[in-house]
Amino acid sequence: MSKHALRIAFVVASVVLMAGVGFVLKAQLIPKSFGLYGPYRADAIDEEAQRVLKHGTNASCFGCHQYEATIHLKGNHKTISCEFCHGTYSDHIKNGKKIANLPVKKGTEITTLCLRCHNTEIKARSTMVIKTVGIQDHLKKQNVKLTHTCNQCHHVHAPLKYINEAKKITGLMEVKP
Amino acid sequence: MNPTLYKASTELSHGASMLISNYVFPNDLHVHWSMMIVLYPYITGLVDGAFIIAALYYLFDVKSLKPIARFSLLFAFAFLCCATLPLLLHLGRPERNFNMLLTPSPSSAMAGFGYIYAVSMGVLSFIVLFVYRPDLVERGKKAKGFMKLLYRALTFDSNDLSEKALALDGKIIRFLVGLGIPVAAVLHGYVGFIFGGVKANPTWSTPLMPVIFLFSACVSGISAIIIAYIIIRKIGGHSVDSDCIRTCIKTLTGFFILAFSFEMLEVFSHSYLKTGYHHMVEGLLNGPLASSFWLWQVKICSVIPLILLGCMAFIPLKDAIYTAISGLVSAILLLQVFIMRWNVVIGGQLMSKSARGYTEFHPEWFDKEGIAAVIIIMLIPFIILFVLGKIFPFWAEERKSGIQ
Ligand code: HEC
Ligand code: HEC
Ligand code: HEC
Ligand code: HEC
Repeated sequence: MSKHALRIAFVVASVVLMAGVGFVLKAQLIPKSFGLYGPYRADAIDEEAQRVLKHGTNASCFGCHQYEATIHLKGNHKTISCEFCHGTYSDHIKNGKKIANLPVKKGTEITTLCLRCHNTEIKARSTMVIKTVGIQDHLKKQNVKLTHTCNQCHHVHAPLKYINEAKKITGLMEVKP
Repeated sequence: MNPTLYKASTELSHGASMLISNYVFPNDLHVHWSMMIVLYPYITGLVDGAFIIAALYYLFDVKSLKPIARFSLLFAFAFLCCATLPLLLHLGRPERNFNMLLTPSPSSAMAGFGYIYAVSMGVLSFIVLFVYRPDLVERGKKAKGFMKLLYRALTFDSNDLSEKALALDGKIIRFLVGLGIPVAAVLHGYVGFIFGGVKANPTWSTPLMPVIFLFSACVSGISAIIIAYIIIRKIGGHSVDSDCIRTCIKTLTGFFILAFSFEMLEVFSHSYLKTGYHHMVEGLLNGPLASSFWLWQVKICSVIPLILLGCMAFIPLKDAIYTAISGLVSAILLLQVFIMRWNVVIGGQLMSKSARGYTEFHPEWFDKEGIAAVIIIMLIPFIILFVLGKIFPFWAEERKSGIQ
């Protein structure tokens, strides 16, 4: 074999060697519990289960906030999660005790909150599921200033509560369920 | 708020029309695979096309391609170096890509690219080193210090330029280029497959996808080589080999006819098969993509080049004019392929899984995946090419012996 051919044989051998080292390394680097149940790390299941719960349910709030609960459960927002509007359970309660107050939205913050779900501009929402309003149009129809916030007419926890009560008193309009 | 927009939206919300024409799931509003994922098939495509030119010379003995064969290899190499860049930039946690490569799974195609890429990189590097060995040996003799060491490593420490040694190199080059063809086909076929394999997306999910990607890859790569060749030669004040340009254009014509036919065949098969989501695909091509697909991709960037290529094939033209038109056609075709990638990747994501609504894509300038990033990434291969040019001379000097 000529010197040149020898060098090339050497190159081929080192490529094979590098591939071999690569495969050994790969085998070494794969986490131990990988593939026990499927193509994932079996330990990941335990690790995920250790995560601290962030969210409770609406029922988790009812025990301490009975007043809001009774209103909420009767209104059109009964299917909405308290935590969507207020923040997570874990920020408020730990081991059954209050650790911090959840922020309570005020004024225009409330309008912003309502429009996250009820804005006509967000075309992704089907009107069959959520009734939407265009804010200016809606307020003009009610003959009020554009600075009105949503909660001046709608009870935040049961949005049609006051409106239906007013309708009953005046008897002017049909009462919605 | 814009009053007309406001009026339109309130009107929409009252009628059922919004439900049918404009319902987009919240998680479909945003186009997740954006410009980086357009760039990824574009760059691998350039690599493939350039490699085809090299293969035509080194394996199929198309002698007229000699002036650009070596350059095509370097060009392919420079772009291959950057092929993973857009993907890594797209990932939120790029360092995790190695985890994926550690545990490839037959039920997920993503890791496949890492392996295919590694193999093509290996094959292409060795082809370059073997093709350039005689030059490197000679440069190594003149070099000093570190450069001498570098040249020694790049020539596998063998300065044997005898007839026998070069014949052996020739055989190895042939073997590697032969191996490189299926590897290049898999590399880019894979990219098409990654889209074709997304069953949830009716515009992507066709078996034609890898084929279309492959042919358009050849188109873009060959066009890029033609333009780069003409520009670099002209800047250096050198002559352009018109025989070589003519062969390139003929090859380009062949591949472009195939690519364009398959692109149209895909539209045809969509509209003939009329599968469950056909209304969405049809609406997409005639709605949000009406101008970028029909006007730009088909009419401007495909029909015009076809006419030009036809003229070049049938009308005898002077070399200078032929070269000028070649540059023009190649530029249009480079754009065609880019628009095609855009229409497939971004276009395919403009429809909601609700099958009822379309969304929009707004490219940003300064974003991880913005226009500025696109420009920077497309510049890097040229910088690499420039640096490579210092070690590997682009153009072959007249050489008597060996496979040059
Ligand atoms: C362990 C009982 C308990 C539970 C369970 C609980 N809270 Fe509270 N929450 C309190 C107490 C006590 C306060 C303080 C009341 C006060 O300051 O008037 C409070 C205050 C609040 C406030 C702020 C009222 C204010 O005026 O600042 C909000 C909002 C609130 N809770 C929401 C929730 C929500 C939502 C949940 C369910 C995820 C929840 N709470 C679960 C006990 C509880
Ligand atoms: C649609 C959003 C929304 C939902 C859902 C919601 N709230 Fe509220 N809640 C508010 C807003 C806004 C305020 C502030 C009310 C105001 O200032 O008029 C508030 C006020 C409160 C307060 C403080 C009352 C006060 O006067 O200090 C408590 C406590 C509370 N909510 C508990 C709950 C509980 C418990 C639930 C679930 C049963 C719930 N909320 C569901 C929006 C919501
Ligand atoms: C998390 C999304 C969400 C937020 C935030 C929200 N809503 Fe609602 N709202 C709903 C849904 C969903 C319904 C319909 C519930 C149903 O029909 O079961 C509804 C119903 C209503 C209705 C009754 C519509 C009708 O005629 O049936 C009114 C009024 C209303 N919301 C007002 C408000 C106001 C005011 C706020 C701000 C305090 C608000 N909503 C915040 C989701 C939301
Ligand atoms: C001036 C009082 C007033 C204010 C302020 C107000 N609304 Fe209303 N809203 C009403 C009345 C009254 C109705 C019931 C109309 C009916 O039943 O015909 C209503 C109905 C609605 C409905 C149901 C629409 C439908 O199609 O049935 C939604 C949603 C709603 N409001 C959201 C909001 C939001 C969000 C805001 C804050 C931006 C807001 N409202 C502010 C008085 C008000």
